Amino acid sequence: MSDQQAAAAKPAAIIDDVRSIIAKSLNISADQLTPETYLDELGAESLDVIEIVFALEEKFDITIPLKADEATRLTTADKSGSGQDMPFSTVGDVAEIVQKLIAAKTAKAAQ
Amino acid sequence: MNRVVVTGIGVVSPIGSTREEFWSGLVEARSGIGPITRIPTERLNIRIAAEVRDFDPSQHFDSKRLGIMDRFSQFAVVAARAAVKDAQLNITEELALSTATIIGNGAGGMNTLDDAFWRIYGQNNTRSHPLTIPRLMANAPSSLISMDLGLKGPTFTIASACASGTHAIGQAFQMVRTGQARVALAGGAEACITVGAMKAWEALRVMSADTCRPFSRTRSGLVLGEGAAIFVLEPRESAVSRGAPIYGELKGFGMSADAGDITALDPDGAARAMSAALTDAKVNPDDIDYVNAHGTGTGLNDKGETTALHKAFGDSAEHLAVSSSKAVLGHSLGAAGALEFAATALALHHQTIPPTANFEEPDPDCDLDYVPNTARNAPLELAMSSSFAFGGLNAVLVLGRA
Repeated sequence: MSDQQAAAAKPAAIIDDVRSIIAKSLNISADQLTPETYLDELGAESLDVIEIVFALEEKFDITIPLKADEATRLTTADKSGSGQDMPFSTVGDVAEIVQKLIAAKTAKAAQ
Repeated sequence: MNRVVVTGIGVVSPIGSTREEFWSGLVEARSGIGPITRIPTERLNIRIAAEVRDFDPSQHFDSKRLGIMDRFSQFAVVAARAAVKDAQLNITEELALSTATIIGNGAGGMNTLDDAFWRIYGQNNTRSHPLTIPRLMANAPSSLISMDLGLKGPTFTIASACASGTHAIGQAFQMVRTGQARVALAGGAEACITVGAMKAWEALRVMSADTCRPFSRTRSGLVLGEGAAIFVLEPRESAVSRGAPIYGELKGFGMSADAGDITALDPDGAARAMSAALTDAKVNPDDIDYVNAHGTGTGLNDKGETTALHKAFGDSAEHLAVSSSKAVLGHSLGAAGALEFAATALALHHQTIPPTANFEEPDPDCDLDYVPNTARNAPLELAMSSSFAFGGLNAVLVLGRA
């Protein structure tokens, strides 16, 4: 793993990136975003959510399994091994999914 | 005002390219969805589509003509020839001058565009093929039908994404009804299953990776399709006097725009188009026996369309038979409305409702009679065919028994 990747995988850095991506996509200040904030309370509609997902995938080189149908108050199939659906409704949910997918990717790369 | 009838049906579809094969596929719920065969799939997450599989362009066109024809134009011309033959229509030079050709298309010549851009960006070629533009232009199918059959009346393409085919038939209906055209060839054509287009559709996160299950709780999204359906429309009087086959009579056409979300169906907008079609046809909601739904197999569509049907039909919705042909045909965008209009016309002709295939479980949010999996014989006097496009553009046709 490069230093850059190691830095990017740090939870605090991930949460900052997630917040700034969501804030930029919804054209609001990142200060408004707490882990408990619901995306739909911020006005995010289906297309906003898939744009956020796209930006996260591009930023972290991960694949987030999510259907537009379920967007805003939604779940995403957890491909990291637990077999559970994970909520994708709040800023904290998004950060958690991103962290899990990055961890899964890192573990796979280390194998 | 002329009464307008459908006297010819030509199809190129994932379940066959004769009227008989097409109809038997719909009735038998024989889905044309399967693994993609025509393009490399290693970079795709979604690897299924409803491809037209038995189509050999060299059987229909010489190499010089093929040079100017994208796949969507090939489909369109083959379907147009079949429609004219089916209608037993002799297009004299005089008739050709007032025959309209109005074709719906959503995406343009996507195979040509994808190939051309791959040469430039992927292979660093410095030049494109000189016929790239005439092949990919959205009006190419309309123009090539007019060239192929010598049709010299009003000719153009209508683009309203997934409603293009329905808008085109509706526009042609109005022109024949008012006498602006003596005959019209109308329908839709689409061929956009390319790597570039598939990646773009994947990004919308509305695609199913397994199959299309409209109105079923177990739905997993839509599946792209391709094909064409073209119809001969003419005044009832001339069809009767020349002894032409009559599949049905076009009764009404309704349109609306949602002026809302760019992708999500708005039940109010969809219901307004249905009501407008009923008003134009001068019929009541309870006169309609069957609705061939837009039914894409996404949650947003299926639930929204069900709400729209309740709004437009009120209490009559309870005894309405509704089915989606997309589990069998896939979603062929600009051709979809036309292929589904063919399904609707043939339903009236055969007095049989084609089923919603792949229906597994009822969805509490979709509470109508979706004619699951098995075709149903029923007396059908009036039917409706609906299309609700991205961009919030809605088009609905009402068709009566011949």
